[in-house]
Amino acid sequence: MSAYLNISTSPHTRSPLTTGRVMRDVLISLMPVSLMGVWHFGVRALLVLITSVGTAVLTEFVFDRIARRGDTWKDGSAAVTGLLLGLCLSPAVPPYIPVLGAMFAILFVKCFFGGLGRNFMNPALAGRCFLLISFSGTMTNYAVSDAVSSATPLVGLLENGQANLKEMFLGTGSASGVIGCSILALLIGGIYLFAVHAITWEIPVSALVTFGLFIMFFGGRGLDPMYILAHYCGGGIVMGALFMATDPVTSPVTKPGQLIYGASVGILAGLFRVFASSADSVSYAIIIANLLTPLIDEYVVPLPFGLKRDAAVGNAGSPALTPKMLLPALRLTVITLLAGLGLAGVFHMTKASIESQKLAKKNASYMEVLPEAAEFVDDDVLTSAIDCLEGQVYGTAFGKAYINEAVRGVDASGNTVGYVVNASSKDGFDGEISLSVGVNAEGAVEGISFTQLTETAGMGMRVQEPEFKDQFAGRNVSRFVLNKAGGSTSDDEIDSVSGASISSGAVVNAVNAALDFLAASKN
Amino acid sequence: MSQKSFRGGVHPKEHKELSSGAPFETYLPHGDMVFPMGQHIGKPSTPVVKKGDRVLAGQIIAEASAFVSANIVSSCSGTVKAVERHRTIAGTFAESVIIENDGLYETVPGIGEKVDFHTLSNDEILAKIKGAGIIGMGGAGFPTHVKLSRKDPSGIRYLIANGAECEPYITCDDQLMRSRASEIVTGMEIILQLFPQAEGVIVIEDNKPEAIAAMEEAAGKRARIRVQVCPVKYPQGGERSCISVVTGAHYGITQLPADVGCIVDNVSTVYAIYRAVAESTPLMERGVTITGEAVKKPCNLMTRIGANCGELLEAAGGLKDGVQAVKVLAGGPMMGVAFDNLGVPLQKNNNALTFLLEDEVEAAEKQMTACIRCGRCVRVCPQGLSPQLMSAAFEKKDYDRYEGKLHGLECISCGSCTFICPAKRPLTQEFKIAKAEIMAIKRAQKEKEAAKA
Repeated sequence: MSAYLNISTSPHTRSPLTTGRVMRDVLISLMPVSLMGVWHFGVRALLVLITSVGTAVLTEFVFDRIARRGDTWKDGSAAVTGLLLGLCLSPAVPPYIPVLGAMFAILFVKCFFGGLGRNFMNPALAGRCFLLISFSGTMTNYAVSDAVSSATPLVGLLENGQANLKEMFLGTGSASGVIGCSILALLIGGIYLFAVHAITWEIPVSALVTFGLFIMFFGGRGLDPMYILAHYCGGGIVMGALFMATDPVTSPVTKPGQLIYGASVGILAGLFRVFASSADSVSYAIIIANLLTPLIDEYVVPLPFGLKRDAAVGNAGSPALTPKMLLPALRLTVITLLAGLGLAGVFHMTKASIESQKLAKKNASYMEVLPEAAEFVDDDVLTSAIDCLEGQVYGTAFGKAYINEAVRGVDASGNTVGYVVNASSKDGFDGEISLSVGVNAEGAVEGISFTQLTETAGMGMRVQEPEFKDQFAGRNVSRFVLNKAGGSTSDDEIDSVSGASISSGAVVNAVNAALDFLAASKN
Repeated sequence: MSQKSFRGGVHPKEHKELSSGAPFETYLPHGDMVFPMGQHIGKPSTPVVKKGDRVLAGQIIAEASAFVSANIVSSCSGTVKAVERHRTIAGTFAESVIIENDGLYETVPGIGEKVDFHTLSNDEILAKIKGAGIIGMGGAGFPTHVKLSRKDPSGIRYLIANGAECEPYITCDDQLMRSRASEIVTGMEIILQLFPQAEGVIVIEDNKPEAIAAMEEAAGKRARIRVQVCPVKYPQGGERSCISVVTGAHYGITQLPADVGCIVDNVSTVYAIYRAVAESTPLMERGVTITGEAVKKPCNLMTRIGANCGELLEAAGGLKDGVQAVKVLAGGPMMGVAFDNLGVPLQKNNNALTFLLEDEVEAAEKQMTACIRCGRCVRVCPQGLSPQLMSAAFEKKDYDRYEGKLHGLECISCGSCTFICPAKRPLTQEFKIAKAEIMAIKRAQKEKEAAKA
């Protein structure tokens, strides 16, 4: 008889499912939200996504070559990481942001730990957190159109208690944060993943439910459906619960493990959001829960059907926790406690000196704009006037201007020599512009000094050059006017920095707000 | 009535359409018949014939050598050619009785004599089953008279006739239920006579409507017997899956089905019991499916145990012209055994020969990636195990964790985890090694302790 040489042990058949197909399903599920993002934010969003995916795949490809480990870039997991990272970036980020993020995610979090299946936390989220820490200004500035700049709706919600739910749900808000912000499109993708069995209900449901409960109990509004819904629609909890927390590599494999893990994500996200007021709570919650996964898989193993815990066969591996197993955990706890106490001690000891240094720095900036003063003191009238503003936009004539602080300058003998008002404007090109305005006793501006400025280099940033900045000094007017053409003659006119009228306008608005505030408060 | 199913399970491609429409053809082999002594679980049988003896069909040629062992009956008439080691379908060599088949199929007297089983005592029924050499014909090969000998027969609540036939390709049980429904039901009545408290349940997957109709018609006339239809899902035909859908009970390796009040027998075994008790015919023939994409005429044969597998393939028209089968399985693709030489005999527990044109394992090996921890293996395991964690423990050779915390010895090697794995990890294969190594370690420990004592 002929010989049949293919001998192997059973089973001899395999399902058509492959790792590549699993990754392809995730990519398909992310299409609705990607298309929505590109449709809403335009070609800039597309560029961010392409850069992110391209860099991720290229990084893995290069690493494959260097490490000589085959063509793992082809399995699609790098593309998934790249797309997820791109979706949680603002469409306005400069191109180096997705490039650095994707490289960090693939190289440091994935490849260096052994590649697919070995990464210890979700690479896309780790990449995002890396960017958040390294480029906090650029990352949290969700400017989406040239003239409008705003915090994410969630920040608005947390500050003002208002949110446009419909816009957040559809992802069509004028001031929405990241590219992948359409809850509707995310849900469609999630349903697809569920339908093709790429995810199960355990992680998303446990994460979303515990998150909602946490917000209900600790959010401060109780069972206010609009408030809870707004929390669901903003800040990426849906994206996180459906696409990030369900990343199989970094979540537990067993059902009870997945429930515990999902609940950890929900609770941590709620905790960070409510008590840290952070819009990035979900990212941090998930990567911390990722770190719990090995521990969960070590200890949370469901019993096989029909076995009882004490009657379980072969107790050699001791299914229950024993003191011996708890010892390492106990040691860790003690070490953590000691480290924590040490840190707290250091913080306490250095607190006073940090405070005084901060004060000195602030005084120095005040001194710069009001040099006659020997000391700056709180003024009851000004302080209560600021309290009345409740952090809202100041007035109606100054764009989005805010009054942050106001103090009175006194000389060595205690006589008032003038005032310093710290005002800011969100009408700049890139984030908030904050500045201090010094006004002497006669009401003339002594000078201005920037305390925060992240405008475009070579353009908006030039507002801090003396040529522009020093125009204010020595003038005594109730309101300045921006002259975009230049060549001002009148006392109240300020020449705009050429090519940076938006930044210049924001500065003028902030100074005007400060002057108006001072005039109003003194009357 | 909504159909009950078990937890976990997978849906491999069925391929049953190849042979499901082909009724049994009776095939009497011409060539030499070979009877290995170790076809069953337990101690190999002891030959009671020697070279040169003339034997008749139905004559006992080897006897049970221990409590857990079984007789072997010649399925043809002829002359004993040799009693020597012969290649088996499992790829091993085992002592075998080889009979030169004279093609006359002359039987021992009394065979085929009708007996009213109601007149028989329990001991007489068990003696007939033992004498007929019946073992579990679904694949396991556990001696049936041992399974049915219970000290406390009233503790058995369910007699489950397993007609699920969940393994892809195989259709011989389907055909048996279609054509021998009333015989199977009578076989169940014989067993129920041993267990007065038990209810008879025939478990069938719902992809066999003809078999279901036939069995329901046959069972409809008898008390204590009903048909339970289950949705198609592998491994429905596993002993534990059957018990789960009928009783809802689960149990572990330290227990037997009888401990949860169940006796599970394949429908082929039940049919063999009927033949042995009611028709005085020992186990000589069985249904076998010759199938696979490489076979010219996939079919179901009612043929003689001991027949040469190559001859059976020829009986099915041989391979398709110009085609080379790359893999041959005794059984189906989920739990079947691949073998490399057709010069081996059909055993009592072989239900199919499957000739594959493609080796999916070979293709899968090329697609293998690192485990992505997706947890699909955990979801499909019909035992509720965590194959992903077991595989990790196996790779670290952490057998304490494998056996203790993860209960890895509960694995029934059904192959569901390997089947579903998108990363194409050889999970079941690892667990087979792990189980064998753990058992070897235990044996060594026992021997050490015995030596000390």
